[in-house]
Amino acid sequence: MAHLRLDKYKPLVALGVFLVAWWVIPSFVKSFVRVSFNEFQAPTWIVTSYLDDLGGFWTRRSHSKIELIEAGRELAREKAYYQYYAQLNDRMANEIARLESILNIPSHREFHYEVARVIRRDLSAWWQQITIRKGRDYGIIEGAAVVFSGGVVGRVIEVGAFTSRIELVTSPNFRMAASFEKDGRPVVYQGTPQSGFGTPIGRVNDAPQDLVAQSQKPLTLVSTELGGTFPEGLRIGSVAWLEPGSTGIFQAGEVQLDDRLLRLHEVTVLIPLQALAAE
Amino acid sequence: MFLDSRILIMFGANALLLFLCSLVNSSLAAIPTYLILLGPMLIFPSLYLQQRSYFLCTLLTGLWVDAALPSNFGFFTFAFLSLGTLICLMRVRFRVEHNYHPIILAHCANATLILLLTLCAGLEALKVTSFWLQTGLTLLLSHLCLLLVAPWFFNFQRALFEIFQLDSEPEDFPIL
Repeated sequence: MAHLRLDKYKPLVALGVFLVAWWVIPSFVKSFVRVSFNEFQAPTWIVTSYLDDLGGFWTRRSHSKIELIEAGRELAREKAYYQYYAQLNDRMANEIARLESILNIPSHREFHYEVARVIRRDLSAWWQQITIRKGRDYGIIEGAAVVFSGGVVGRVIEVGAFTSRIELVTSPNFRMAASFEKDGRPVVYQGTPQSGFGTPIGRVNDAPQDLVAQSQKPLTLVSTELGGTFPEGLRIGSVAWLEPGSTGIFQAGEVQLDDRLLRLHEVTVLIPLQALAAE
Repeated sequence: MFLDSRILIMFGANALLLFLCSLVNSSLAAIPTYLILLGPMLIFPSLYLQQRSYFLCTLLTGLWVDAALPSNFGFFTFAFLSLGTLICLMRVRFRVEHNYHPIILAHCANATLILLLTLCAGLEALKVTSFWLQTGLTLLLSHLCLLLVAPWFFNFQRALFEIFQLDSEPEDFPIL
């Protein structure tokens, strides 16, 4: 009878020991390992993004002086326009503060706006996340809302020393309280798996029965303060069709999101001022 | 030697492949393209190294991939070690002097990883047609890309062995 060789099962034994060890190891150790590996990789992405910026700088240097003068003139016009709106905004903010003090109502949540550059996009069937070039060094906190000129982008889910990871509004793991424009009743927005073709989509649930959406006149879905993360009135997307939901009591429908979500270069993180004050 | 110094080269090459792949995925985010090129990472460690060195190299690679990709932490570590162990147990059947067997193994490992990722996405996602559409496209593109990337990657690792004057032959397991 051939001699039974047990050493050929060594890889299997090692795998079994590792499985048991992984199960036994406390979660803070795993968390530490994950953070360590993550922080080790972050500089590579930061350097890549700075090199990308440098490439952009040299590309722009090749523009002619006439092009630069025209761009400067265009910017001056835009600046004058926004300066006027900044004044208007200040006046309205003062008016709101005055009314709040007269009526003795609690003030709106205030945010500090931190603009950050997107350095990495992971958009696949399994995950929908982006990474930005700011982290704890700029006071970014987990759970903070992220927006751009087209509305809601997502939520910060992981903060590193110099980078942060954001779960996009398109991700099936993303869920938030919302409402339709000019209708205060709360509904639930949730991301769905993306096909990758056409505009990104999400899903709205628990919409009241009396709401009617038409493709010629779609309803606009906006954020509410109910979730505690986003300020009120930020655009999420538009709904062109509502149908009875699974319960039959409410309606549900597809939300057409902004297609710029897939090629974001800069986003703004809304950091609650209370969180900054607590620090 | 307690540990094989080729671990460093294999791990470095794996990290480089992952970074390049992530860079491409990040640049092509606006179009429905996502590449998963993880299969080749676990072929050379399991075919070339002694059991102890193979385990360390695959463990490090798994943790590195887990930290880089937004999956549950530990998913790729488990998957890499399980697939690597399977290849280790059958390594006497494969020839590593040429790329034929490693490429086939890389494709099989890559397809298995994509399948595992899909199964772990949850029942809700599996019911959605668009999820399958994108998964199918990812599978197709990744394997088309792997036809080019896998031979380059294996030759690149062999070239590094020669540059650093390391043994370019696989270690024989004492399990024949």
